[in-house]
Amino acid sequence: MTAASVRMGRFLTYRVAGWGTLLIALGILPWFGISPNLTRLLFTSLVWIITSVAWNLLGGFAGQVSFGFAVFYGLGAYTAAMRISAGIPPLAAFAIAGLVAAIASVLIGLPTFRLRGPYFAIATIGVSEAMRVLMTNLSFTGGASGYRIAEPGPFRPLEHYYTALGFAAMAVVISALIHHSKFGLSLQAVREDQEAAADIGVNPLKAKLIVHLLAATLTGIAGGVYARYAAYIHPQGVFGFHTSVAILLMPIIGGAGTVAGPVIGGFVYGLVQEELVAAFPQFHLLLYGALLIVIILFEPQGVVGWLGKLRSFIERIWRKSAAASVG
Amino acid sequence: MPPLLSVERLNKYFAGLAALKDVSFEVEEGQICGLIGPNGAGKTTLFSIIAGSVSPSSGMITYSGKDVTRWKSFQAVRAGVARTHQITRPFRSMTTRQNVEVGLHFGHGSAGGNRSGEVTEILEGVGLGRVADKPAASLCVGDQKRLELARTLAAKPKLLLCDEVCSGLTDTEMNEVLELLRRIRERGTTILYVEHNMRAIMSTCDQVIVLNFGQKLTEGPPLKIQNDPAVIEAYLGKTAAD
Repeated sequence: MTAASVRMGRFLTYRVAGWGTLLIALGILPWFGISPNLTRLLFTSLVWIITSVAWNLLGGFAGQVSFGFAVFYGLGAYTAAMRISAGIPPLAAFAIAGLVAAIASVLIGLPTFRLRGPYFAIATIGVSEAMRVLMTNLSFTGGASGYRIAEPGPFRPLEHYYTALGFAAMAVVISALIHHSKFGLSLQAVREDQEAAADIGVNPLKAKLIVHLLAATLTGIAGGVYARYAAYIHPQGVFGFHTSVAILLMPIIGGAGTVAGPVIGGFVYGLVQEELVAAFPQFHLLLYGALLIVIILFEPQGVVGWLGKLRSFIERIWRKSAAASVG
Repeated sequence: MPPLLSVERLNKYFAGLAALKDVSFEVEEGQICGLIGPNGAGKTTLFSIIAGSVSPSSGMITYSGKDVTRWKSFQAVRAGVARTHQITRPFRSMTTRQNVEVGLHFGHGSAGGNRSGEVTEILEGVGLGRVADKPAASLCVGDQKRLELARTLAAKPKLLLCDEVCSGLTDTEMNEVLELLRRIRERGTTILYVEHNMRAIMSTCDQVIVLNFGQKLTEGPPLKIQNDPAVIEAYLGKTAAD
């Protein structure tokens, strides 16, 4: 083995250890008797993280900026809600929710992936809005007045919390596996230059459809997990344009195209959203707007890019002071 | 033996404007076949059609006895036909090595073997070893040209379509690239080579096809082409030919 691959192996070990620690920390946190409010906050953040990681698969790795993820989130939410009300076990209902979103992703992807860049983004806005209007007027789902889930038994916040944690962990594992795979390499190539990628053997449409399907499945599951927790959903919420924008904002804030970025973005968004919205009902929009401008102008790699710069800065100072103490 | 590539009565119209008119030719296995012609003669269009990124208005392309006329570019690559681009198109934020890996993993006959060793070998072969881990965007023009070639070679083409790999290079760099093309041919790859630089064409090709205004003007060995009055006229105008 070469020195480089040993270094690479050590690097991967650190990463796995880091993610493992985070997972265990979040797993044992409820044992220390956290407040119901903190449980709610963490649960919401974890659901957002699932969608954020999912969006990043398509938007970050493959560079296809979609404003239409509310479609998958909403479909997942409604599917799971109606299945759970019909008495199906929640986990099976989430699986069906993911499946419905996956099917929708293929139907949406086949026509829209023929478009490039901004045109693709605009098309996804259209699909998403059409879906919202449709769901507002569909009578069997309750139309505009929404849908209430009838689940027998008491409300157990921790069960919801662990469900969200489990799916968030699954999303991160999928994201990391793709990022370090041959498939991930082809997505990067498609993001950089689709024709050039095709000219050396990558099938761009297939790559985009597969990653879209994975992203939609995860987003649909997230919608389902949220719906079960909320027990009441309505089209203006789960299919709302603001949901699509939120799902897109988080990975960009955290660092699109990285594994850790969407997770950081999801936490930031979840905490800020819940805390700030309570305090200042309109202020958060201003904050996101300002944040987005700052990120696009100064740090396209988001928080992850900023942390990387911070690290190399500290390393420089460290080396300098080490050299000074030797000399 | 049938030719490796045969193009029959190929036509391409862009909104009624003929870019290619009734172009037919054949490329034998193991040849370096040059494709020349003045600006706008249709060379790059012809390339794009053979490589599958543009589909022809009519005509037929046969590769290894198979009809590949309407193949998509990734299908053509997987069957062994790969092109380079005249204007380099590196995957800018990826490293030189990763660029080559894409070709290796998704190109023709991409299975098994020591992949990382192979990438290093290809990079050394074109002289990019020293910038293997640099982002492709940071390479100079000459290196980007080499990367374009390296990435395509990694896809292991049986028929390599080279679009002006020498433009923008110094004489020394050009000689290196031409030497590389000869080595590639020796390893059994057939090359169809578009180039503006006459010296490059004349010193490397076995056969030259001349295009003018979308039509085949003539074809033959380099020496014959060089002295053909019709070719000189196409390039320099009527008086010069007299």
